[in-house]
Amino acid sequence: MIDRRSIFTATAAIGTFLASAFGSRKAKAGMQEKYPNHTYKNGTPTGDVEPRGAIGRMERLPTLRIEGVHDFTCGMRTFLNKHTRKLVTRADKLISESGRDPRKEIHAIEAMKILDKDTLLGTSGRLWISNQQVTWKILQDHYHENADEYLAEMEAADNDGPGTLELNPEMEIPDYTKHEIHIQPGGYVGDAFAGPIYHYGTLSFYNGVMGDNTQDQIHVSTANRLPLPEDGVVKRILVQGCGLGQMTVALAERFPEAEVWGIDVGGPLVRYGHMRARELGVPVNFAQRLAEDTKFPDDHFDIVTSYIINHELPQDKNRAVIKEAYRVTRPGGYYYPVDFLTGGGKGKPYSNYRRWWDHRWNNEVWSYEYHTFNFDQEIEMAGFKLNPNTPAALPRFGKRHAVKEA
Amino acid sequence: MATTKLKTDRPTYTSDFIPSDVERAVFLGNPVLDNMMSSLIALGAEVWSNRRRMKVLESLLAEKGITEEMVESYMPTSEQEAEWQKDRDRFIDLTYSPLLREGDLPVSADFGDRKKR
Repeated sequence: MIDRRSIFTATAAIGTFLASAFGSRKAKAGMQEKYPNHTYKNGTPTGDVEPRGAIGRMERLPTLRIEGVHDFTCGMRTFLNKHTRKLVTRADKLISESGRDPRKEIHAIEAMKILDKDTLLGTSGRLWISNQQVTWKILQDHYHENADEYLAEMEAADNDGPGTLELNPEMEIPDYTKHEIHIQPGGYVGDAFAGPIYHYGTLSFYNGVMGDNTQDQIHVSTANRLPLPEDGVVKRILVQGCGLGQMTVALAERFPEAEVWGIDVGGPLVRYGHMRARELGVPVNFAQRLAEDTKFPDDHFDIVTSYIINHELPQDKNRAVIKEAYRVTRPGGYYYPVDFLTGGGKGKPYSNYRRWWDHRWNNEVWSYEYHTFNFDQEIEMAGFKLNPNTPAALPRFGKRHAVKEA
Repeated sequence: MATTKLKTDRPTYTSDFIPSDVERAVFLGNPVLDNMMSSLIALGAEVWSNRRRMKVLESLLAEKGITEEMVESYMPTSEQEAEWQKDRDRFIDLTYSPLLREGDLPVSADFGDRKKR
């Protein structure tokens, strides 16, 4: 029986043969002139544009200026985080002046009404958001200014392996996925370079909140903390909403014998993910598909997981995603969605204000719904049994080792 | 819905999207103040980027035969990176700490009840 991987590999091989047989030397020379940043083998672009080389698995930012600006935005996040205590004190003072007890929980909307017009909180928010805008703009400008070169790079990788790529340009993209989450311009579906923009842009998030992730350290350690199924068998793994595939690649590295799939609604994301996995030499299958409609058979995967996608989904879609995970997980296998803890709409004044603010202004459109969602209960209602003894795959995030009983 | 405008005939596998309204946000009661803050951030980013570039150039000036390619491909040592990050933090502190100043005295304020520290 011929599987998908064989078909893709064969297609890629035929494409390579035709290109080498019929591509003229003149065309190759022209290509080299047009795309000077590609790496070439016998005059043919290998599909890798890295003007400043790579450090480990991270291609360096394409210009020294962008690297400098990126370094600044990382530093600014650290600076703002350093002043959080001051903001908490200010929020508590204002809550107290309004006649409320700042030590008690308060609903975010109530906190917002009291804190809305404060200049210190406003300044902190403005600096944060403007810094975030610079983070995205510097990257999007570069990729758009050099679009042809980078699109050619992705085209060269589309049908090449290791690994496969399935793009579905006719797919109906649901509206809930079309928002500019984190105010990333174009969001995950609307910009051809959503992949590299997200990849480099989120480094400042990691740098400011969780630590260096230039070598996918956070994803690798998360993948390595996932448990084994009780019978130890891991033949197939699915990552729902895989984004640019950092977790997917990390799982393929941990389980080199397994067939690993990463699916995401964002065509530009899986396209970049495939290109990157190919450059890393890791065989992963990427497909542009919906997490709630994976197209895989029942009981197909030993492990179904995801990395921080649930808080980007409305509640009804989260239920559909969990239900789909249950359907495609084999008996004895497990589902482990890695995402934030959920905790309702109340909390201490500043943290609750900041959560609402992040939802509203960092355009985390669905995060507030997520935080008021009893995620663990929904997982159990779908049929899984949560194992409370398994440590969190990502420290301080939810412990969600959801077993589909054999 | 919106689309990003890329001048290309190549496939992009994109769809329309729903833009955020962040450009309309006013956090400081006056859009001019918000805009000044945004300019300050951008200015800081450019200034820091230039300072960082200078560090590369200064490092390279210690050697002979400097080319643009050499500057672009310069790889800082981990010690340099740590030192530069410290300098970056000093720079950000100098430039942006005033924005978090909690001033509350109007122009007409008298000396009030000052206490020695």
